[in-house]
Amino acid sequence: MARFQWRFWCWPAELRRCGLLGMNGRNLKYLAGCNPRKHYPRVNDKLLTKQICLARGIPVPATYAVVERNGDVSRFPAVLGGRQEFVIKPAKGAGGRGIVVIAAHDGRRFTTPGGHTLTTADLRYHLSAILSGLHSLGGQTDRAIIEQRVVCHPAFDDVAVGGTPDIRIIVYRGVPAMAMVRLPTAASRGRANLHQGAVAVGIDLHTGRTFGGVLNGRAIGRHPDTAHPIAGLAVPKWPALLAGATELSSGLGLGYLGIDFVVDAALGPVVLEANVRPGLAIQIANAQGLALCLEAIDLRRAELPESHAHPGVAAAWPPRPHRGPFRMPARTNAETSVGAAP
Amino acid sequence: MHGRQVARWVVISLCLAGVAAIGLRVRSRRDVPMTQGDSVWRLTYDVSFRAPEAGMRLRVAVPDGGPHSRIYREDLRHTGLKTDRMRSRAETRELSVVTQRDGEFRLEARFDIHLSPRTRFRDRTTPAQLTAEQRAGYLRGFRTIQVRSSTVREQLRELQAEAANRAALVDRIFEFCHRQIVSDEDGLADARGVLEQRRGTSLGRARAMVALCRAGKVPARLVTGFIVQESVTAQPHVWVEVLANGHWEPFDPDNGYARDLPAHFLPARYDGTQTVRGTGLTELNAQFSITAIPPPGHTLARRGQHPTDILDPASLPVEMRQVLILLLLMPLGAVVTAVFRTLVGIRTFGTFTPVLVALSFVYADWQTGLAVLAAVLVIGLATRSLLDRLKLLFVPRLSVILTLVAVCLVFAVSLLDYYGLTPGADAVLFPMVILTMIIERFYVSTEEDGLSASFQVLLGTVLVGACCYFVLQGEQVGRLLLHYPELHLFSLALLIAMGRYTGYRLTELWRFRDLAVPVPDET
Repeated sequence: MARFQWRFWCWPAELRRCGLLGMNGRNLKYLAGCNPRKHYPRVNDKLLTKQICLARGIPVPATYAVVERNGDVSRFPAVLGGRQEFVIKPAKGAGGRGIVVIAAHDGRRFTTPGGHTLTTADLRYHLSAILSGLHSLGGQTDRAIIEQRVVCHPAFDDVAVGGTPDIRIIVYRGVPAMAMVRLPTAASRGRANLHQGAVAVGIDLHTGRTFGGVLNGRAIGRHPDTAHPIAGLAVPKWPALLAGATELSSGLGLGYLGIDFVVDAALGPVVLEANVRPGLAIQIANAQGLALCLEAIDLRRAELPESHAHPGVAAAWPPRPHRGPFRMPARTNAETSVGAAP
Repeated sequence: MHGRQVARWVVISLCLAGVAAIGLRVRSRRDVPMTQGDSVWRLTYDVSFRAPEAGMRLRVAVPDGGPHSRIYREDLRHTGLKTDRMRSRAETRELSVVTQRDGEFRLEARFDIHLSPRTRFRDRTTPAQLTAEQRAGYLRGFRTIQVRSSTVREQLRELQAEAANRAALVDRIFEFCHRQIVSDEDGLADARGVLEQRRGTSLGRARAMVALCRAGKVPARLVTGFIVQESVTAQPHVWVEVLANGHWEPFDPDNGYARDLPAHFLPARYDGTQTVRGTGLTELNAQFSITAIPPPGHTLARRGQHPTDILDPASLPVEMRQVLILLLLMPLGAVVTAVFRTLVGIRTFGTFTPVLVALSFVYADWQTGLAVLAAVLVIGLATRSLLDRLKLLFVPRLSVILTLVAVCLVFAVSLLDYYGLTPGADAVLFPMVILTMIIERFYVSTEEDGLSASFQVLLGTVLVGACCYFVLQGEQVGRLLLHYPELHLFSLALLIAMGRYTGYRLTELWRFRDLAVPVPDET
């Protein structure tokens, strides 16, 4: 592990040199410039995102049922069609609110992965609450999605505690610009929320391998709960994941967004949701500034005919050697086939 | 970038417009030669007093212009006082201020007066409309105006014998008070005493005239005002107004003016003799001074109001001053918020919540404000966590918190009252609603990002709110803005420039400090 020079402060020039993207720069140069407001509903409503994914052949968790009206709530256990595991979530929820995961049930009693038991009446009440907008932003009425439960891929078994890690990819003008995986910890209570103590781990875009992590803004080498090293993990089906991100960004019509994937044991990478205001912590996880990547993409895109998505650009995008406290795994030219359509 | 270019030009043109507007205003205020016969004066009230506690009230009757005079600019300075709602008794314009603490206070009011003997600023033909009750009030006797005393009645009978009608009677009474009562500033000041001794002060002679009129069933009243002439220690002067043919007609038995007064008589209080009065105040001392001032540009060329007056908020009445200053200071609060959020990078609950919190603290005093803040936070967070189990919808949930907070605050006030510490009512009212909103945001943020993150945001809100509070307290800056509202063109330019700032926030220099560290070689 690299030792840090202890300091509280750095100069703007230092940040500029490493190409760090600040909040003002992100909002003004990228969000305002690339993301038309009219397309925001495609991202804010997870059902719309799902439809776009399905239309473009990007894998998503299978939708078992959509509850749109309070009258449909009474049909709840029937709509499952005998499936044992499922997830209930609001279509317009934010920050993971209102999500209930069920691991097993006997038609009357439903068990969560944590071992809590819920009754049919509890879940019907939860569905009604979602419909009336309890969990949606601004309290608008909402729809409830009942969908397939994603099973954590065994590749992450040693570094995910109490939940499923998710993979965030920043896609700029159809080109993946930066990626990280967020590992849930005991402190974050299984949620992949960095504020609550999840670990952010940078991913090398070309290899799909992790290379060092950050917990609460400081670099760490091992998972705080399992002590398993978090560098060097390979994200399964990485090329397919990148291709999916590229495809979805053109489907959504947004120029700068973060796409969240989870890797299912059976399906591989599936899209969970997209985010129009992806956070900046990904730069700490990657120990690299985002602005330089985005500028490089701009240069690269200028040479190519304008179209929505260019998996080829991602492949040909010249990798910049990482600078920062982490040691980078060596890159080879053989891996430049990343981004080819699966 | 195109937007950047446009923004730059907008900022530059706003600054230029600001400079030009200030230049124009300075030029319009420059002195010009005086018009024939007109004059410009400044009347200054200097009131000092001592209040034993907060909540004491001082009422100051201020001039509102007369037939030949108008107030074209006024200014009010005080500290630790709050201008209260204006209460107009009869036709008097009365400024009411409430003390915010105990101790000594000083209030200074300035009125710039335009006198024009050849102009009538006020239409004389508007009839005075009196209700039966008001009419009865103007006929009633008083401790110093003894309408029913035998001296008054006898004198009246004597005068009535010489007068054929009401108008003649009023003339006779005036003649009598002016000629047959000797002026004696050490004499008596009540109507009966003056009539008995045939000598009295100018106030006593005026009272004698009012008493005689009222006894003769002619509504009459005292008017207190100022005789506008150069004087460092001006004294309020009292004269009489008599209701005749539906109009109030002025008589000055002291100086001998009847039915019309010269231009330099400026009324302040109608139906009363006190210009300054207070309840529970000690060492109340009022000084008045009148000086001639050089006339400002264009003021004298005009007769009455002019549309360009709209552009000069400084010409608005003094009692609106405090609210206007607060309004003009609000954009500065927004600038402070913008600086903290986009340049420093401190997160707050809601964009303008800090400004609103600061505003509520200006209305209350800050100690009460802080106490209310703490009480509301504790009650609110406790009820909010209980409510979470009920799983209510957003708006009803918020309303439940508001209801509980309101009821708890009432009992808290009641508790304080029991121990003899009653806070002001608006000290409690204003912060409450805004704070209820903060509670909801705080709770949701605790749920989503954890307690420490939401405490950081709360701290940020309080910090920005405190800075806004100091900005909103700036009376001097506020007065400057009132005289030069175009200064806000610079605020706009500053805000637009900040809106195009793409550099790092100050907190990002801390947040991303690790990225700037060079890689040490591993050994």
